[in-house]
Amino acid sequence: MTRVLVVEDDAQTAAEIAAALGDHGFEVECAHNGQDALDRATADQYSAIVLDRMLPGGIDGLTVLSTLRGMSVDAPVLILSALSAVDERVRGLRAGGDDYLTKPFESLELTARIEVLLRRRNASVPDRQTMLRVGDLEVDLLKREVKRSGRVIDLLPREYRLLEYLMRHPGQVITRTMLFEEVWSYRYDQRTNVIDVHMGKLRRKLDEGGLPSMIHTVRGSGYILRAPD
Amino acid sequence: MRLTDLPRTTSFRLSVLFLALFGGATLGFFGFLFWQANSYLNSSVDHWIQRDSVVYLNNTGEIVRMLDTHAERDPDAWRPFGLFDSAGRYIAGNLHALPQRPVPVGRYFEYSLMRNGKEAPFRGVGYRMANDDILILSYNVNEIYGFKHLLVNAMTWGGILVFAIGIAGAVITGLGAVRQINGITGAVERIVIGNLAERLPTRRGAGDLDRLVYLVNGMLDDIERLMREVKGVTDDIAHDLRTPLTRLLGGLERARRRTTSSEEYARAVDAAIAETKAVLGTFSALLRIAEVEDGARRAGFTRIDLGQIAADVVEFHAPVAEERGVILSFDTDAPSLTQMSGDPSLLFEAISNLVDNAIKFSPSGGCVGVRAYCHKGRIGVAVTDDGPGIPPEEREAVLRRFHRLEKSRHTPGSGLGLSLVAAVAKLHGLNLTIDSSHPGSRVTLERDAPASQGIGGSLPSPAAGEREQMTSEEHALSSGT
Repeated sequence: MTRVLVVEDDAQTAAEIAAALGDHGFEVECAHNGQDALDRATADQYSAIVLDRMLPGGIDGLTVLSTLRGMSVDAPVLILSALSAVDERVRGLRAGGDDYLTKPFESLELTARIEVLLRRRNASVPDRQTMLRVGDLEVDLLKREVKRSGRVIDLLPREYRLLEYLMRHPGQVITRTMLFEEVWSYRYDQRTNVIDVHMGKLRRKLDEGGLPSMIHTVRGSGYILRAPD
Repeated sequence: MRLTDLPRTTSFRLSVLFLALFGGATLGFFGFLFWQANSYLNSSVDHWIQRDSVVYLNNTGEIVRMLDTHAERDPDAWRPFGLFDSAGRYIAGNLHALPQRPVPVGRYFEYSLMRNGKEAPFRGVGYRMANDDILILSYNVNEIYGFKHLLVNAMTWGGILVFAIGIAGAVITGLGAVRQINGITGAVERIVIGNLAERLPTRRGAGDLDRLVYLVNGMLDDIERLMREVKGVTDDIAHDLRTPLTRLLGGLERARRRTTSSEEYARAVDAAIAETKAVLGTFSALLRIAEVEDGARRAGFTRIDLGQIAADVVEFHAPVAEERGVILSFDTDAPSLTQMSGDPSLLFEAISNLVDNAIKFSPSGGCVGVRAYCHKGRIGVAVTDDGPGIPPEEREAVLRRFHRLEKSRHTPGSGLGLSLVAAVAKLHGLNLTIDSSHPGSRVTLERDAPASQGIGGSLPSPAAGEREQMTSEEHALSSGT
C-alpha cells in the first residue's frame, strides 16, 4: 500500500487532507511539527510527503525539506502554503520540492497532484519512450503524430500537447490548473471555461467517427483519459 | 484647554524665554554703560582736584593764606578744602572738620555734607604735607549723581516697560495658540467620534502650525475617500455575495422539502457545491486583488515579453472566440521589442481578463483585436472590440470592485475582472486606459519602454534592427540576473 506522510500543524486541515488521500486508497500518517516530520520521514519509508510551508516549533517546512534531501530521503514532496507569491513557489521548488499548492485548495487538486508525483517517481525512465499508447489511441512522440484505430488525427500544436500530457498520465485525474500549468506554462486558478473548450475540441477530434469517448470529465474540475471499455 | 494652561503653550514659553534672554542682555549692556560713564565722570573730577593740588603743594609756605583767600571766594563751600594738623585739628580752609577717619591720605573718597538743607555728595582726596599736616581737596559731584540717578531711573522704567510689553505679547501669542489648539482639538475630537467630514480650522497665513493643519486636512480628505471606498466595497460584497448565498439556501431548503430519491439529493448537493465554489471563487479573487495591490509579488518578477504573453492569451482564447463566432486576431509591429520585467502569470491573467471580456461583449461576427506595440518609447498591449463600449462616465467606475454596467447584469462574471487588471497594471507600472474605438471600446496597458531597450518603430531594416535588439536584450538579461 502507498504510504503518504502529511506534515500539517492545523489538526483540522491535516484530518481533511488525510481523509481525501484515504479516499484515494493511500495510507496516511500525520506529523504536526517539523521535528516530528523529520523523525518519521527518516525512520520510515514513505511514497510521498505533503509538507506545510509554515510549521510551529522552530523548524519550518523548507528546513524540513532541505534536511530530508540532505539525508537522501528522495520521496516526492508536495509543498502546501498560504502564500501564492511566485518567489515563494520558486524557493519551495529550489529547496527540493516537487510541486507546490496554495491554500485553500480542492481535495481533487491535491490527490491528482500526488498521483502524478507518484507515477512520475515510479516510471523510472519515462522520457525514453517514443510511443505512448492507451487503448486504440497512440501518439508517436518523434513524428508528433496521433493515430486512433490506425487513422491519423490532425491536431493543433496546443491540442497535441494537451493530449501528450494526458497520455503520459492515463487513468489519472488531471485538473484544469495542472493542464494550464503544464501545457500553457502559466500558473493561476483558471475560473473560465476556456480549458473546457480546448478539451471539447480535442475530444471531438479524438472521438470522430462515433468512436467511444476517451476523455472524461471528473467532478467538474478535472479530466481523465481512459481506454474505452 | 483653559486659560490656566497658557503657561504650558509653546509660543508663550518661547516668548518668555526670549524676554528673559533679551532682558539679561540689556541689563548687561546698561551695566557696562553705567560703569564706563561713572568712571569717566569720576576721573574728570579727579583730574580737576589734581590740578588744584599742584597750586597748593608747590606753595607750601603760603598755603594758609591761599586757603583763606579761596575760602572767602567760596562761602557756601561747594568745593570744600581744608588743612588739618596731624592730630586732625582744623588749621585753614572752608572744610572745618575731617570728613573721614582714619584720615584718607593718597586715595579718593566720597562723602556727604549738608548743603541748603539737603545732603550733597562730594568727592575728595587727602595729601600729607611735608610737616605732617593733611590737606583735603574735594569737589561737589551733584551732577554726576544726578546723571547716574537718571540713568538708573531710565533703565528701571525702560525695563519695566519692556517686560510689560513682552509679557503682554507672550500672553497674546499664547492665547492665539491656545485658541487654535482649542479649535484643532475640538475638531479632532469630533473626527474621533466619527464625523469624518470635519476638518481642522484653518487661518490665513503660512505659520508652521497652519502648514501642519493643511497637511492633516489633506490626510483627512484621503482617509474620508478611503473610508467611503471601503464602505462601497463592503456594500458591494454584501450585495454580490447575498445573491449566490440566497440561491444556495433556497436550493438546500427545496432539497429537504421535496427530494425523495438519492439521485435528487446528489443533484442538490452538486448544485450546492457549485454555488459554494462560486462564492469561494469570489473571495479568492478579492484576496488576489488585495495581494496584487500589496505589491509583494514584485519579488517574483522576471524578464518577460509582453507581446509573447499577449500572443499566448490570444492562442488560449481562440477556440472560445471561434465557438462564439467572434474573430480574434493578434498582431504586433514590434516582435520581441516589448520586453519588461514582470510576473508572467499575472500579466497573462490580466490580458486574459480583457480578452475574455472583449469576446463576451462582442456580437457574433464581431472582431476582437489584440495588438502589442512599441511606439515612441512606449510599449503596450491594446485590446479592441466591437461590443457596446463603455460610456465615458463609467470608465473610472468599471475599475472598481464588483462594478458592472447595467447592460451587462445578465452576463456571467463576478465584476472583479477589471479590478484585477487595474491592480496588475499598477503593480507593473502599466497605465490602464479605456477609450472608445467606434463602435466598441479599446483597453490599453501601456508603459515606458525599459531603459535598456532602444526606441523601436523607426528602424530602417526590420531584420537588422531585430538582431541588434536581440543583443541588447541579451545584455539586459545577463545584467539583470
